[in-house]
Amino acid sequence: MQHTATISRMKAAGAPPRLSAFAQWADRHFKWLLVAPAVLLILALSIYPLLFSMVVSFINYDFQVPGHAFVGVKNYERVVFDPVARWSLVLTACLSGLSVAIEFVLGLLVALTMVRSFPGRGVIMSILIVPLFISPVIVGQAWTLLLQRPFGPTNYILTQLLGQEVTIGWMTESPWLYVSLIIADVWQWTPFMFVILLAGLTAISPNLYEAAELDSVNAWQAFWAITVPHLGPMMLLALTFRLLDAIRMFDTIFIMTGGGPGTQTYTASYYLYTVGFTQFHLSQATAGSWLFLIFTALVVMLLVRRLLKAEPV
Amino acid sequence: MAEVRITGLHKRYGAFHAVRGIDLDIRDGEFTVLVGPSGCGKSTLLRTIAGLEESSEGTIEIGGEVVNDFRPRDRDVAMVFQDYALYPHMSVAKNIGFGLKARKMPKPEVEARVAEAARMLGITPLLGRFPRQLSGGQRQRVAIGRAIVRNPRIFLFDEPLSNLDAQLRDEMRGEIKRLHQAIATTMIYVTHDQIEAMTLADRIVLMRDGVIEQQGTPLDLFERPGSTFVAGFLGSPRMSFLPGTLTLGGSAAAIRLADVLLPVAPGRKLNGATDGQKVLLGLRPEHLTRAHAARPAQGTFRYDATIDLLQPTGSRSYATFRLAGAPVMAELQAHDVSRPGERLPIDINMNRASIFDVKTERAI
Amino acid sequence: MPVVARARRRKRRSVPIGRILLLGFFLVFVLWPLYWMFNTSIKPSDDYLTVPPVWFPTAPTLVHYKAALFAYRGLDGLINSLIISLSATVLSALFGTLMAYSLARYNTGGQHLSFWVLSQRFLPPIGIVLPVFLIYRGVGLYDTHIGLIIAYTVFTLPVSVWMMFAYFRGMPKSMEEAALVDGCTRWEAFWRVAVPLAAPGIVAAAVFAFIACWTEFFFALILTSRTAFTLPTVFRAFIGFQGAQYGEAAALAIVSLVPSIALGVLAQRHLVRGLTLGAVRG
Ligand SMILES: Nc1ncnc2c1ncn2[C@@H]1O[C@H](COP(=O)(O)OP(=O)(O)O)[C@@H](O)[C@H]1O
Ligand SMILES: [Mg+2]
Repeated sequence: MQHTATISRMKAAGAPPRLSAFAQWADRHFKWLLVAPAVLLILALSIYPLLFSMVVSFINYDFQVPGHAFVGVKNYERVVFDPVARWSLVLTACLSGLSVAIEFVLGLLVALTMVRSFPGRGVIMSILIVPLFISPVIVGQAWTLLLQRPFGPTNYILTQLLGQEVTIGWMTESPWLYVSLIIADVWQWTPFMFVILLAGLTAISPNLYEAAELDSVNAWQAFWAITVPHLGPMMLLALTFRLLDAIRMFDTIFIMTGGGPGTQTYTASYYLYTVGFTQFHLSQATAGSWLFLIFTALVVMLLVRRLLKAEPV
Repeated sequence: MAEVRITGLHKRYGAFHAVRGIDLDIRDGEFTVLVGPSGCGKSTLLRTIAGLEESSEGTIEIGGEVVNDFRPRDRDVAMVFQDYALYPHMSVAKNIGFGLKARKMPKPEVEARVAEAARMLGITPLLGRFPRQLSGGQRQRVAIGRAIVRNPRIFLFDEPLSNLDAQLRDEMRGEIKRLHQAIATTMIYVTHDQIEAMTLADRIVLMRDGVIEQQGTPLDLFERPGSTFVAGFLGSPRMSFLPGTLTLGGSAAAIRLADVLLPVAPGRKLNGATDGQKVLLGLRPEHLTRAHAARPAQGTFRYDATIDLLQPTGSRSYATFRLAGAPVMAELQAHDVSRPGERLPIDINMNRASIFDVKTERAI
Repeated sequence: MPVVARARRRKRRSVPIGRILLLGFFLVFVLWPLYWMFNTSIKPSDDYLTVPPVWFPTAPTLVHYKAALFAYRGLDGLINSLIISLSATVLSALFGTLMAYSLARYNTGGQHLSFWVLSQRFLPPIGIVLPVFLIYRGVGLYDTHIGLIIAYTVFTLPVSVWMMFAYFRGMPKSMEEAALVDGCTRWEAFWRVAVPLAAPGIVAAAVFAFIACWTEFFFALILTSRTAFTLPTVFRAFIGFQGAQYGEAAALAIVSLVPSIALGVLAQRHLVRGLTLGAVRG
């Protein structure tokens, strides 16, 4: 241990030099200056465009019809009465709901297998998260390579496994193209569920399970009595975040099916994209995107409210 | 070198009223300890003096100047934090010199001062290390070094010893006392530990729920507590409180505790007391001793006690017995008593006893 | 007791089989498309349509890589992607850190401001991109690097802000307070004390911003065309192909996924925070 020598008073260093007028001003408004760049950027590239699109949705803004006349709610009517628009909304709900449900169950199962540590866990962990860092475009491309006829090996493998000729048009025939899209989504995003749920699972104290084991509770009962309640907030969070991203589904469709055949794989985003950027009915697309925005906002309000109440750790 | 004057200070966090009207004068060079139970607003008061919190109401003067609108940097005070708050990414030397660098002091002078401060604190060999490579006691010294190197107008300490183990705490407490004796700078020290308060303070300011309950020299507060709260907070083991009734009739005042009548020490003033008033009699363990003399001294009352519980500490033994049904603790010499159940004559020194009103809990 | 012990031992022995199967299946599921893509990228074109398929190419070739990078302008896309992603990452991490610090330490704007930023994360891009497209055409930012850099900065800001917000919240503030008392202005306390201490968090936030930009497709598709196009948009060239460009597509995919996967795996310690915007600590 050190010992203090004689202490004597030093010369006072005094207060630091006075600040310049600018520095004083900056110090006083420090907190607002820090948020300013981010807030201005978001205002400029998110809020301003939204307001602008609000205007556009009520006027004529169409590369095929000249002039910018006020047209009232006609753009909205066009979307609402377009059967393709309604179909795309239904498809968006079904595809995203189904994908997220599968991702959730699969992610939870995989997370359960990974809770306890075992040799090689770190490496497996690193492999399992890889899809999260890949562009959805590439994911679509990868599954195209696997599924596309005649090049893809999938039909060949199925033929060998089932012992009978399989010739499915994975990206052209009706139920199968949805299966393909869901598989691609599940492949990319199951790790998302897995990572979050695993974090939640590892946070549950093992003592709880040991206590349950002493009470001779079986694994299934322990899952419902301990895991589910403790994991609840985390599940809600994972589902919310994932669902809000899933309803934007666009990239894989663009690559794998191009919305087709016909309009069979039009999701909301894809529909609006085609209206806006291949047919150039920009004001109609804008009106549609406002409607979609309102749907999303409703979902956000419902889910995020719940989430904030649940207060995850 | 500066005195501190706080007038009508309030601090609110939203609806929560953490500091509710503090008036405090601290003389130049005084060692003031703010003490009180956790959550009573000590840190808030200290941080307001440092400028880390803005006051909601009231003024703070340092050296005769109102500093309410001063930034912390312009107040020329130094603060030692509970977790030391050393900068983890800087060496010890950089840590100590940081405040000087912020003052744009020339490098050679910074280095000379840092070396001098390190020498005084005995941490010269540590100058090249990083905080994570230091023990708790060493970090504490660096934190103090960071303060003394500037020779600020005031030292502020917020529970600086509470993260240390007991032995180191005693040692550092001595060091801080020595530091104050050597440099005689105004120091304001926050703690919830009454022993730290008693040993360090020139003056104790005892706080409760955001207000000052009582202030004065340590002995003042110890011997003449203004309320049961102060009496119970200072002193260990705690003062015993016995409910009774004050009788002023006849020549001498007395306190009736069930079947026992204890005469109040002659000459003790009983300002504003009324006959039949319900009171609490406060007795510290050291007010009760084993009777050796043939008859009790003036102002003491002798009582034949049966010991219920005995807690020996080595040289002393704390003996608990019942006085008119209520438990009382006496501090006896170890050889005065040998086992529970023993009957002993105990002298109660009523000259030093405290009397409180039951309802207001204020001293009479 | 022995009964319990035996039961427990039996459980220990029987359960892993199911687990290993599940995990094994999932590993194959994850790795198979990646393997097949790699396989395709080094396979000579003659091997494409054989039955059975060629599982291990016997004569690996790099011709597809060459074609993807040069004939299909993959290299230009790669360079554009690098410029745009890196610039947007730096800006996003910088502005995100500034804002997060203000929110975490000064509670700026109360809950409203922080949740307003968070809500930006959940806006569907289609709602933004149409008007941005129109605005960009008006001000000459369409198909420019700057234009996409700004768009990407804004679109990664919510994640940067919230990751750093959580990071600063988890950091004791006494060191910054010590700096203030020691003679620093707020800016100095931030810059000289808080930022160095938050460096690991800033790096993690930057990594996730980079990955988000690197893999982004939708904005790039609409806001760029022949000049500022990024790597993911190059894949448009392979849509609807009939056999000839499998190898090129696969090769370009491999080139594109290596950097983001490498970064992501390196930063996996922060992954949970990144995915949940800091709501959950990993
Ligand atoms: N930033 C804050 N926001 C809200 N309440 C606070 C804040 N800081 C302190 N408090 C409350 O003020 C009271 C006094 O706190 P403090 O001064 O830290 O007490 P202590 O005497 O233990 O140092 C406590 O009840 C505490 O909960
Ligand atoms: Mg405190």
